[in-house]
Amino acid sequence: MAKFIVIGERIHCISPVIKKAMDERDPAPILKRAKEQLDAGADYLDVNIGPAEKGGDELMKWAVQLLQSEFDGVPLCLDTANRRAIEAGISVYDRSKGKPIVNSADAGDRIENIDLAAANDAVCLALCSKAGVPSDNDERMGYCQELLERGMSLGMDPDDIWFDPLFLVIKGMQDKQMEMLEFIRMLSDMGLKSTGGLSNVSNMMPKNIRPIMDSAMAAMAICMGLTSAIVNPCDLRLMETVRSCDVIRNNTLYADSYLEL
Amino acid sequence: MAFKAAQQKFTAKINETTVGTGERAISLGGENAFPFYSFDAPVENSPKIGIEIHDSGHYAGVPGMDAYYAGADTLAETARRAAAVEGVDFLAVSFDGAHPDSGDRSVEDCVEAIKEIADAVDIPIVIEGSKSVDKDAKLLDKISEALSGRNILVMSAREENYKSIAASAGLAYSQKISAESAVDINLAKQLNVLISQMGVKSENTVMNLGSAAAGYGFEYVASTIDRVKAAALAQNDTMLQMPIVTPVGAEAWTVKEAIVSEEDFPEWGPMEIRGINMEVSTAAACLAAGSNAVILRHPESVKAVSRLVKALI
Repeated sequence: MAKFIVIGERIHCISPVIKKAMDERDPAPILKRAKEQLDAGADYLDVNIGPAEKGGDELMKWAVQLLQSEFDGVPLCLDTANRRAIEAGISVYDRSKGKPIVNSADAGDRIENIDLAAANDAVCLALCSKAGVPSDNDERMGYCQELLERGMSLGMDPDDIWFDPLFLVIKGMQDKQMEMLEFIRMLSDMGLKSTGGLSNVSNMMPKNIRPIMDSAMAAMAICMGLTSAIVNPCDLRLMETVRSCDVIRNNTLYADSYLEL
Repeated sequence: MAFKAAQQKFTAKINETTVGTGERAISLGGENAFPFYSFDAPVENSPKIGIEIHDSGHYAGVPGMDAYYAGADTLAETARRAAAVEGVDFLAVSFDGAHPDSGDRSVEDCVEAIKEIADAVDIPIVIEGSKSVDKDAKLLDKISEALSGRNILVMSAREENYKSIAASAGLAYSQKISAESAVDINLAKQLNVLISQMGVKSENTVMNLGSAAAGYGFEYVASTIDRVKAAALAQNDTMLQMPIVTPVGAEAWTVKEAIVSEEDFPEWGPMEIRGINMEVSTAAACLAAGSNAVILRHPESVKAVSRLVKALI
C-alpha cells in the first residue's frame, strides 16, 4: 500500500561541482541540487561524500545539518565508505521526517554497517552481494538471509533493511536482467523492502536513451515489487513512470492531476 | 494468555476544520483512526449533525415536521426552531427556490433571507446551493460576502464552478468551502487538488462525496467514503484528508419509502415513520463509513442520530 520511495542520487562527490562545494564548504551548489530534486518529487536525498578518509565525519555533519535545516528535516541517506562519518552524520540527524538510511552494508567487508544501523535505529541498505556480482539468485538469497538474520539478531525491524538486488548494466549483462527482476519478486514475496541503483542498467547508453531504458526497468521492477530506488528524480520520464506505477499498484488514488502531486 | 488487542496506528490524520464562531463553533475531523474506532485512538471530534431548512422555510408536507414548525411564520423563527432541536450542531440552509426551474428566486432575495436567518441563530451555518451551477456561482459569492465573519461552510463547489466559489467564498471572504462530487472518488481527489492549487488551504476545505438513500446504491457511497478514509490515513494522501460532510435529508426524503401514502401502501404503515427510518439508517451508515457530519431534515431523525453518536463515543 505504501508509495514508492524515490531516493535522489544527485548529491554525489563524483560531480566536480559538488566535490568542490564539499571541499570548500560552499552551501549554494549543494542546496541548489537538493532543491531541484525535492521539487521533482524526491522523498529522500542521498548524500555521497565518497571514501572521505580524512575529515569525513566533519563533512557529513556539515552536510546533514545544512540540508535538514534548509529543507525542513528532509530525510537523508548517508552514503560513504567511512563508517565514522556515517555515525557522525547520524549524531546530528533530525528524525522528524524519517529515520536516516545507512548506505550501505553488504555480506562482505561492509557487513558491520548493519550493526551500525542497528545500534543507531537507522534504516540500512543491504546489498545482496559479497565481492562482485552474485552468480545467481541462490547466491543473492544466501546473502539476503545472512544480512536479515544479522540485523534481526541485533533487534532490527525487517522493514528497516532495504535489500538491493544489484541492478546490472544491460550493455554486457543483458542475459541477467530477468533473473535480477525475479529476485525482486522473491524479496517482495517474503515481505521485504527493496531498493537499488536503478540507473545502472542504462550505463554507457546514449544520453537520450537512458531515461527510456530506466523508465522501462522501473516499471518492470515495481511490478515485481520493488519498493524504492536510488535515481535521478530530475528525470521527468522516470518520475512520470514511477507515479503512474503507484496508481496502477493502487498505492495512491488516481486523480487527473496525479503527475503534479 | 490474556487477550491483547492489536492497535491500528496511523501517523497521518484527518484535517481539523472549524465552522462557525464563538462558543457554538464546531470542529470537524482531526481523527487518526477509522470511524468510531475509539479503541485505536481517541476520536478528536465526534461527528456533527446539521438540520436543514430552505430559503423559504421548513420542508413542509410531513405531519410531524409541520407540527414542530407550526406558527413559525418567519424565516428567523423557523431558523430558531430548527436550532433548538435536541442534538443539533449546525444549521444548513438550502436554496432550492433559487434554481432557475423551481422559483428562480433572485440573488438579492436570497441574501435577505440568509441575513434574517443568520441574525436569528448563533450556531454555525452551512449553505447548500440551488443545485444550478451557474446560479450558485453568483448566489454563493453574495451569500459569502453577506455573512463574512461568520465562518460559514459553503457547500457545492463542483467541477463546473469550483473556480468562482474557491475565489470568492474560499479566498475573498475566508469562509470554508466544500468540494462536491457525486460518488466519484477520482473526481473527489481532483477537485481537492484544483482547489488547493488555487490557494485555498486544505484546513479550509471539506468534501461532500455525494450520497444515496440506504438501499439505493448506497454500497457505492460506502465504498467511496471508505476508500477515501483509507487513502487519507493509511496512504497519507494529503489531498484526501479533508473532513467529509454528507447531506442525507434530500436523498432520504425523496425515495419511494418516504413519499408514498399509507392509503396506497397500507402494509407499509405511516409515511412519516418510514421517512424518519430512511433518514436515520442512511445517516448512521454514512457515519459508520466515515462522514464527519451529516445533514438531516426531520427533528426526530436529528434527535435519534445524535443519541446514537453520544452512545457510541
